[in-house]
Amino acid sequence: MTTTWTAAALSQDVPAGTAAPGRLGDRDLAIWRSASGKIAAWADRCPHRGMRLSHGFVRGEALSCIYHGWRYGQTGQCIKIPAHPGLEPPDAIRVPAFAVAEASGVIWVADGAPATAPPAFEGFTGFRSLQVDAPASVVAEALGGKGDAIRAALGPTPAVALIQPLGPDRSGLHLLAPLSAAPEALDALSVAAEDLRRRAEAGQKGRAA
Amino acid sequence: MKLYDYILSPSCYKVRLMAAIAGVKLDLRPVDFHPGREHKTDPILALNPAGTIPILVDGALILTESSAMLTYLAALAAPGWLGDATPADRAQVEQWLAFSPRLTASCGGARLHDMLLMPGDIGALRASATRALRELEAALSARRRRGHSFLVGAIPTIADIACFPYVALAPDGGIDLGPYPSIRLWMRAIRGLPGFIEMPGIHRLHEASAEPAPEIGGTAG
Repeated sequence: MTTTWTAAALSQDVPAGTAAPGRLGDRDLAIWRSASGKIAAWADRCPHRGMRLSHGFVRGEALSCIYHGWRYGQTGQCIKIPAHPGLEPPDAIRVPAFAVAEASGVIWVADGAPATAPPAFEGFTGFRSLQVDAPASVVAEALGGKGDAIRAALGPTPAVALIQPLGPDRSGLHLLAPLSAAPEALDALSVAAEDLRRRAEAGQKGRAA
Repeated sequence: MKLYDYILSPSCYKVRLMAAIAGVKLDLRPVDFHPGREHKTDPILALNPAGTIPILVDGALILTESSAMLTYLAALAAPGWLGDATPADRAQVEQWLAFSPRLTASCGGARLHDMLLMPGDIGALRASATRALRELEAALSARRRRGHSFLVGAIPTIADIACFPYVALAPDGGIDLGPYPSIRLWMRAIRGLPGFIEMPGIHRLHEASAEPAPEIGGTAG
């Protein structure tokens, strides 16, 4: 069981009224934000027919499945079945919800209730997520560090790299930069991150060969 | 204006979408692309020896490249969509129009392989699609940093329409769009445009329209 926080996405990438796919360990997530700004992370599967809820749509404070419109409130409880408008959906129709918290522009998720708040990086905020076709250890090595939160040297602008393991040969790389960084500085960080990805993937191919 | 069209073709959809947004009425002439391979028959080859669709015919003008059709429709009825306000904007629109065939070949090739069982090296097609999608994601993330939702300038252009359909349908070719948050938000912005129309596999923003009223005389109660 994962009771630690995992960086799953960036706050900027899930604006109010939208849903996005995400991962926690080997599970698919639907991460969505209500019209009023409340974030939620659920199993990415509608209890009705198994459709991915990350394909769904947000109206107000509820997420609806794109397939038959079953609607779920903040807790994951089904609150409406459009084909049976008079029916109060039974309590059993509920989408499993995960713990979710935001800090430094990062959406953190956990299975269970972590004892502490997710880490905050004072003065930094998330600005880009990339997927790397290499394991987390190889990405950390390319960044010149260890673990899943690395102060990265990617040029003149300081950055924090959060590495999300996505299976044996894939990782998510969530990058944070100073809140004060100008777009041009972020462009340069972005280019440096793509360069790092190329090196990590080339190294991974070399290892696999 | 007549469009030789196939409902499941993202290239044909580009033209239908641009025409809908520009308010140009098209006379659609369905072509039995699959399984009939009508685009390879003599009457169609007489119009377009390349044997591809879409084909747009307006009087004596015959166009066989979808990007040229987008330019024509925008120039006729929605000139703002040409994105030619500055020399740099104009060049960037051309850049994305020239980029779009890479999406057709990679995302589109993978889709034809998986959906219509056409031959191809699916691993190479998906790898090539990943490279193109990563470039698009990087460019769109740089645009977002500057407060823009579309590829060029402050408003949507034919560059967006040229790139959108093959990206949106990439999952048909086994290509996951999960790793591309800026692409996701860009597609959302396009799907929310006034005049937007759907094609199979690309739906409008349901949340943008009012919730349907309960059916009168239905089973409610």
